[in-house]
Amino acid sequence: MRRVYAALAALVAAILVAIVAFFAVEAWPAIGLNGWHFLTHDVWDVGRQYGNPILRDGRLVLPGAHYGILFLIVGTLLSTAIAVVLAVPIGVLAAIFLAECIPAALRTWVSFFVEMLAAIPSVVFGLWGYIFLIPFLARHVFPWMAAHLGFLPYFGGATGSGYGLLTSGLVLALMIVPLVTSTVRDALVAQPHGLRDAALALGATRFETLRTVQLPGTRRAMTGSAILATGRALGETMAVLMISGNALNYLPTNIYSPISTMASFIVSQLDGALQDPTGMAVRALAEVALVLCLISVVVNSLARGLLYWQDRISSAWPA
Amino acid sequence: MKPFATILQRRGARLAIFCLALACAGALAAQTINLLETGSSLLYPLFNLWLPAYHRIAPEVRITTQSTGSGTGISDAVAGIAQIGASDAYMADAMMRQHPGMLNIPLAISMQMVNYNLPGLNGRNLKLSGPVLAGIYSGSIRYWDDGQIQAMNPGVRLPHHAIIPVHRTDGSGDTFIFTQYLSFSTPSWSNNVSYGTTISWPAVPGELGAEGNPGMVTATQGNPYTIAYIGTSYEQAIRRARLGIAALKNRAGQFVLPTSATAKAAAAQMVAKTPKDERISLIFAPGPTSYPIINYEYAIVNSRQASAAIAAAMRKFFTWAMSSSGGNAPHFLNQVNFVALPAPVVRLSAAQVAQIQ
Amino acid sequence: MTASAPPLNRKPQGLSLRRRLTDLLGWTACTVAFLVLAAAMTSILVGVARRGMGAMHWGLLTEITQGTGGGLLNAIEGTLVLAFGGLLLAVPLGVACGIYLAEFGQGKGAPTVRFLADVMVGLPSIVVGYFVYILAVEDLGWNFSVAAGSIALAIISLPYICRSSELAIRQVPQDLRNAARALGAGDNRVIFSIALPLALPAIFTGILLALAISVGETAPLLYTAGWSNYLWTGHLVREPIGYLTYAIWAFITEPFTEAHALAYAAALLVTLFVLIISVASRLALAASRRRLPHA
Repeated sequence: MRRVYAALAALVAAILVAIVAFFAVEAWPAIGLNGWHFLTHDVWDVGRQYGNPILRDGRLVLPGAHYGILFLIVGTLLSTAIAVVLAVPIGVLAAIFLAECIPAALRTWVSFFVEMLAAIPSVVFGLWGYIFLIPFLARHVFPWMAAHLGFLPYFGGATGSGYGLLTSGLVLALMIVPLVTSTVRDALVAQPHGLRDAALALGATRFETLRTVQLPGTRRAMTGSAILATGRALGETMAVLMISGNALNYLPTNIYSPISTMASFIVSQLDGALQDPTGMAVRALAEVALVLCLISVVVNSLARGLLYWQDRISSAWPA
Repeated sequence: MKPFATILQRRGARLAIFCLALACAGALAAQTINLLETGSSLLYPLFNLWLPAYHRIAPEVRITTQSTGSGTGISDAVAGIAQIGASDAYMADAMMRQHPGMLNIPLAISMQMVNYNLPGLNGRNLKLSGPVLAGIYSGSIRYWDDGQIQAMNPGVRLPHHAIIPVHRTDGSGDTFIFTQYLSFSTPSWSNNVSYGTTISWPAVPGELGAEGNPGMVTATQGNPYTIAYIGTSYEQAIRRARLGIAALKNRAGQFVLPTSATAKAAAAQMVAKTPKDERISLIFAPGPTSYPIINYEYAIVNSRQASAAIAAAMRKFFTWAMSSSGGNAPHFLNQVNFVALPAPVVRLSAAQVAQIQ
Repeated sequence: MTASAPPLNRKPQGLSLRRRLTDLLGWTACTVAFLVLAAAMTSILVGVARRGMGAMHWGLLTEITQGTGGGLLNAIEGTLVLAFGGLLLAVPLGVACGIYLAEFGQGKGAPTVRFLADVMVGLPSIVVGYFVYILAVEDLGWNFSVAAGSIALAIISLPYICRSSELAIRQVPQDLRNAARALGAGDNRVIFSIALPLALPAIFTGILLALAISVGETAPLLYTAGWSNYLWTGHLVREPIGYLTYAIWAFITEPFTEAHALAYAAALLVTLFVLIISVASRLALAASRRRLPHA
């Protein structure tokens, strides 16, 4: 019987390996064709669809085909970075508020209310961004920021339409912040009282105690959840698709510029890629998926490694 | 053992009910024929007008429509995922060689508008040409008051504001016909960018990508100083959004507005040239009153279908769709500003429809 | 922390102004951070509720979609069918995996499985959709279908179910297992008569979580389930099916008010589904805590 369970468990584990292997095989001809240019150039061109396919390096491709995804990598990393930079401090501060300022009886449901942000579907975030957030930011916030914070690098210049890097970062931040809040809050609540009481007895104020005694104890939970949150932001698709402006082939010039991310690019380009008679566009898109998979595996491995180290079994599971 | 056993029993019972329901549904399904239409967002509003009417004629056929962009329409039809791939673009030669069984069947003639959102000027029809549009979309013409635009529109006070070009992000037949207009009228565009349903757009600061014609309308409406290419079936939406419609320079050097008269004039020039497989560009037609961006709206169809019943249902539907008393009747086409297929083209299309087996 | 925490408004005597200011600033920052999150959540909920209620009418729940108008019955049905189909595949496999990790987790393979399952949680869902699209929709020729969509959802929810089941079963006290073994029970008897029944509410919580994720997914379904205006006729393959999240995504950019109404109503329904499921899972979790003797 034990063998049966082991086999089923192995099947679950095999799925991840299968997916990564699948994309590696699928993308193989594109990897050979594109080389490192794939990661360092920012022109994605499926070539002339109505031209005759030509042979290049022994592979059939459309004339003019060139696959570079630097703009996708930059868009993905920058939007994620903005999201994490916003989400981690806000998430930690909110976790302190929930753990310290809300009576235990209410804490479950008050925490539940803000942590429900994690359960709201991506496409609903996209809808909200599209209907409410973008008009608000484009009309009121961005022009103000450009005028008053324009002296900061990348804060000045054209504020555009509201679709873009900062908008994506903001919405992603809201989507990932519950991961940080719930993990840090749990860690704070679970701490033994001894150290805290000792610090208070020594005359430290509540906030000093928190800063010097309680928070350092949650450092690993913080780091782990921040990396997990990074992983989630990297792979978010629908919300980003609806609010990023879907930039093609150029790098953002300031924080308001339109961008694209790898995940949203796959959704918007797969249909067009399937039209390439040589099939190379689909393979190049599989290479995008492979890069995304690998980044996601690395980031999540890091986070899991850290969290396991902290607590070998149970509390590694985020709410 | 007890609790789990009861759960098992209950789950077993549920499973049995589920299977029973499945069987019933399956029996019911045997009588209906499901057709999936995906693709062109330009053709989508017309399909949505057709379907309720066609349902009264053939209630046994259920057609689902999906506005996905022509690129998806073509690839879904080739892959056999959709029975009808709606497309503003015909299939490329290389693709036809790879999939010789595919048919490109025109169902109607459509045109494309160039629209803009210029506060205060949307009521006027700005004059634009292929080379100017190519300049805007390649970034060499950056501001609305550029000398080239001003020269075509004497007396119009154009604002000194950056132009925001909007383009489609999905594989799009509208992109195909728009870039054909640019390619046929502007050699440098033809050499550097060319045409297709998916284009590697030259980088223009601030440019926007939008999904489908609906996304183009919304993006243009929501963002002043934008310019976009939008299928004529969205003209009512364009008028409601109070966006500008450009008069475009045709091959004869005249600026013409998209109307059914100018579309018919352009179509008249091209009908005789339409080959048997009907894959032909109608863009940049000669003639002083010809509107430069018109196209056949294609149904991309595999000539070999999964069953004779499906093939028969498709032949019946296409025959109805092309007939002037059916889908090509004015009360359908006028709502989306399409032009009916001329009689010689209907005959060519009918011959292709007969090949669906 | 319990209610015994000292009150916040305790006036510290003889503190320097700097220390008092830092304290004040710190607590203000915490409060502001919380308020920002609460405001965002409220804005989303109120925004979706107001637009959704404005668009809602009875016909939306009883009619099928006609182009960009009509109702959402097909999408509601499809969302339930796909989510149920996904669970049907993922629950047995996921729970079995959880049993293995919890009961036989000391073996050599277990840490690897645990690790891979955790990493899989972070895998972008569009990647799973792409994978199933190429394999099932194209290569196997299933086309857009319930089967393809359900498999995509199953892959996405598997790691959640697996890991939450493991934690649930692990929480059953070892003493109970030892007692059962002492009475001569074998592996299966311990699992099915002791561990599973006691862990059931907690396992159920994990399944509800997976259900909420399935109901809210969009990207992996676009290329696997497709979309249909009609009710499902029961074919597992070669028949596309509708779902609510598609209606949000596809209809909000249409320039027609009736299409927007569909998108808003669909957003309201999806959000309600997810909220209800989440509350239910919280309650199930509370129930599981009460049920266990002492974890």
